Amino acid sequence: MKEWYNKINEAQSVDALEEIRIAVFGKKGILAAEFAKMKTAPNEQKAQIAKDLNNHKTALMNEFTAKKIALQTQELQEAMKAEAIDVSMFSTKSSAGALHPVMETMDRIVEYFSSMNFAVKTGQIVEDDFHNFEALNLPKYHPARDMQDTFYFKDEMLLRTHTSPVQIRTMLESKPPIRMIAPGAVFRRDYDLTHTPMFHQIEGLLVDEEGKVSFANLKFILEDFLKYMFGDVAVRFRPSFFPFTEPSAEVDISCVFCKGEGCRVCSHTGWLEVLGCGIVDQNVFKAVEYKNVSGYAFGLGVERFAMLIHQIGDLRSLFEGDIKLLEQFQ
Amino acid sequence: MIVTKSWLNEWIDLGGISTDELAKTFNAIGLEVDRIHEYRVPQKILFGKVLECEKHPDADKLNVCKVDIGSSIRQIVCGAANVRAGLDVVVATVGAVMPSGLAIKPVKLRGIDSDGMICSAGEIGLPDLGKGIMELDASMGAYSIGEEVSTNPIFNDDLIEIELTANRGDCLSIRGIARDLSAAFDRPIKEYTITDNDEKRGIGRILSLSHEKDLDVNLRYKAVDLKELTLPLVIRLRLAQIEEKRETDIKSLLSYVTHATGVILRAYDCEFFCKEENKIAKVILDEDKNQFACVEAQDKEMASTIGVSQVSTSKMKKQEGKLFLEASYIPPEIISKKMAEHKIDADSLFYRTSRGSEPELEGGLSYCVDLIESSSSSTTFSGIVEFSTQFREKIVTVKKQEIDEIIGASIDKTVVSKILKNLGFDTSKSSTDGFVINVPQFRHDIVNKQDIVEEIVRMVGIDNIPSKAYTLQEKNQLEDNYFEYKKRSIFRHRAAQSGFFESVHFVFDEKKVLNAYGFETTKEELELLNPIVQTLDTLRPTLLTGLLKAASQNTKNGYSSVKLFEIGSVFTPLREESLKMAFIFSGEKENENLSNAGKPAKIDFGYFTQKISDVVGDLELTQYTTKHKLAHLYQSAQVLHDGEVLGELFRVHPEVEKAYGLDVTYMCELDFSKIAYALKTAKKSSKYQASFRDLSIITPNAISYETIKKVIQSNAVKELIRFYPVDQYSDESLDDNTSLSIRFVLQSDEKTLEEEDITTAMDSILAALQKELGIGLR
Repeated sequence: MKEWYNKINEAQSVDALEEIRIAVFGKKGILAAEFAKMKTAPNEQKAQIAKDLNNHKTALMNEFTAKKIALQTQELQEAMKAEAIDVSMFSTKSSAGALHPVMETMDRIVEYFSSMNFAVKTGQIVEDDFHNFEALNLPKYHPARDMQDTFYFKDEMLLRTHTSPVQIRTMLESKPPIRMIAPGAVFRRDYDLTHTPMFHQIEGLLVDEEGKVSFANLKFILEDFLKYMFGDVAVRFRPSFFPFTEPSAEVDISCVFCKGEGCRVCSHTGWLEVLGCGIVDQNVFKAVEYKNVSGYAFGLGVERFAMLIHQIGDLRSLFEGDIKLLEQFQ
Repeated sequence: MIVTKSWLNEWIDLGGISTDELAKTFNAIGLEVDRIHEYRVPQKILFGKVLECEKHPDADKLNVCKVDIGSSIRQIVCGAANVRAGLDVVVATVGAVMPSGLAIKPVKLRGIDSDGMICSAGEIGLPDLGKGIMELDASMGAYSIGEEVSTNPIFNDDLIEIELTANRGDCLSIRGIARDLSAAFDRPIKEYTITDNDEKRGIGRILSLSHEKDLDVNLRYKAVDLKELTLPLVIRLRLAQIEEKRETDIKSLLSYVTHATGVILRAYDCEFFCKEENKIAKVILDEDKNQFACVEAQDKEMASTIGVSQVSTSKMKKQEGKLFLEASYIPPEIISKKMAEHKIDADSLFYRTSRGSEPELEGGLSYCVDLIESSSSSTTFSGIVEFSTQFREKIVTVKKQEIDEIIGASIDKTVVSKILKNLGFDTSKSSTDGFVINVPQFRHDIVNKQDIVEEIVRMVGIDNIPSKAYTLQEKNQLEDNYFEYKKRSIFRHRAAQSGFFESVHFVFDEKKVLNAYGFETTKEELELLNPIVQTLDTLRPTLLTGLLKAASQNTKNGYSSVKLFEIGSVFTPLREESLKMAFIFSGEKENENLSNAGKPAKIDFGYFTQKISDVVGDLELTQYTTKHKLAHLYQSAQVLHDGEVLGELFRVHPEVEKAYGLDVTYMCELDFSKIAYALKTAKKSSKYQASFRDLSIITPNAISYETIKKVIQSNAVKELIRFYPVDQYSDESLDDNTSLSIRFVLQSDEKTLEEEDITTAMDSILAALQKELGIGLR
């Protein structure tokens, strides 16, 4: 009997173990043979023999089960080992595409103002003189029209030079209070290193009863917005001039490249101009026949934001579907 | 607008204010600083005096000078043609390092010792003033021989270039800027008082002014008998600093005075108006054929258009002789409007007139005469001749509360008063109720209360206004436009996730190319009037061409797989705008890697369709011929979703692929508004298992799958929930037939389908195919 314990322990494979199982526990196995011998044994010994045999049976079965688990585990290990691969060869390059940095920046800006309860308004690209200029306090002979070199069509329509006409249309279609932003493409007849004939703007407008909207309110939201976009930057307001706002200001942030120390990007001033804003001129309200209201407005160039945030050097590359640039935003 | 600190100092005392602080103040009050340039003369460059000057014995063009430099007298060899004894000059002494890097050392020039260098303006880092050494004169202010030039404020000036906004014509002069600074620093502006000289001859003896019409202009004349005018050094230097150089000295001097005072000045040759000596010249104020105010001679010959231009023949071009100095003013809104109605040629002064020149003419005219007198031996006729118009007073009233409300902070009343007073606004009529403000004429930009508030904001400083959150009235702002924006954003994300890079192209494209490919562009009468370049001369009717160009460039840049998409506006020939979403997929399906043994397969129709479907949803394709010529004739499809046409999908025509240098390329353009974007409703799903059956049929090539599909659809039992082709095979033995395997999915809501049910369903489909199309099993 002893030798079978050894045989189980020394089995090399699950198959070999199975043969031993049959030899021990099978119908013609040694245990069956031993039990058969009992018939011829003297009666007084039978009980003892049966007890011994049963003990052996249990012990052998335990040995067998343990050994089987051990062998199975070992075989699985070996099978897996045979399937080994060099994972380092599978380092991958993502095959996902990417969003355009300007559009992605626009999304972030829209997200901010949406969360501040501004409505999103879009409008048409081909505009007329009234909505693009006249209603915005830019009469025909106004010198500030020089500031915006315009694309005209043969029938005197034009390509909007800013998204402000969307504000005019919204004011004409609805009543105050109005709180909106207008994101979209705008056009100016200018094409060089720092200008493209098409670019994107987001303009904001808030209109409420007279006395309810102040310059201090404008300052609050723009400071908060610029910190949301650029992180921990200093914000500076400089009085400026726009025909549609009064008082007007340009807004600078401390240079994100040199932290205000002065570098090539900020022309050594330490500041970057990022926004224009102001209190809406009463002539604009007059054009849309609003009375006893007050409001603020602001506008920004999305490309400029994208270029500053993502440190993109070449403006024109943004309009060429250049994968070299785009794949960096995967 | 360029100013220098020393120049500003002539109009306002800037003592104790650094250039940094000055620049900061400019920015704070809305005069944006564009550029600062500091002129700094190096050490060991001294004021000197040429005591003697003799020709060099061995060199024609050299002079040997004895120069007093205070501590000693040096011998210096100088090559300038204008060097002479008695001149005060700038001397670089031994040890000085010039801005060019040249170090001054004792040298021998043609055998003669030279102990320093007499300098030109350019050599000490100042703007070039032309040939020769700099001749110092009284205009330099006080200096002493031997003194370091680096201590002189004129030579070591700080130049500040200001980018003026369009509304601030009043700041187009040194005096105008000084006026703004006077309010910012609360320091008075210096006024020049000029007394008329004791010349006996009155201007009336040579000039009479008459007018044909009452016009909205102010004119003021002085008559000068010009003799020996020499422009002082400081004027020449400053004109060079502001990059103004005129053809004659008198023109240069006028430019200088206009830059200093903002007054529009012109000099007329007296002879233009009167050819005979000792007769009175008749100057006539009239209106020209376009209703521009103009100045004429007696014979109606035009001398100038006021505020716009001067006729060349009337200009004072002689060095000596009688001239009329004219100061003029015309309100900017009048001249700009006139110019908008009828554009005529204008000279450089028009910019100032149109932005608003200085209306206070005497300040400029007298200042000019004073400068002429001190720089020449000219005589000025006493008195003036003028034409003056009383312009309407501008009164703005504003309550303190209104100011506070617009600003959003309470500004002390005395502060407001002081700011307004310093800016030259008369507030003497104000009551306790509010401010009654008489706006000075030079502030063309101030017309209403918001303009007044802007002045307060500028001077108080925006930094000193505390930010305050707006009190929000709750309102649901998520409206249609927002959802459109969001839809766009969602599909952009999906496209990027499916491997496409987002691109943005101009909405312009090239008409010639578009037409050649069969696209209809904007109608001629609605076309762009002033395109920027010929290659962007029309509105794009499609996104496809932009993507093709981009793919082409990327392929040239070495990308073997190019996947791009764009969502953007396109225009019909009637210029109606709509939004499209387009894709391009060119070259290899995927990155090179181990799984594809470094040889990824090329993009094919099925793969491309799957990609597009991953982005926009289930697609149904039908045979189609595109209207344009970009598509492969036998691989183009109309794209449908739920029976609605979304757009087209095709392989690019091999000729087009070749023209753009592209590998196999597929494109798709969809009408963005048609792409499904709505809330979904969950359908009840069956809890019983679905069964699959494949049918392999032999079909003639002439019968399209679309036809087969229709027959199956119209004969299917309701348990057939889906079917799709899974294999296609043809060989010679099949002739003009194809073996096609279609997989059918059957499922019932009520039970697990029995073998019998399935067989019955499949048999009826087979029977229909046989009956209607003559198609049978393989």
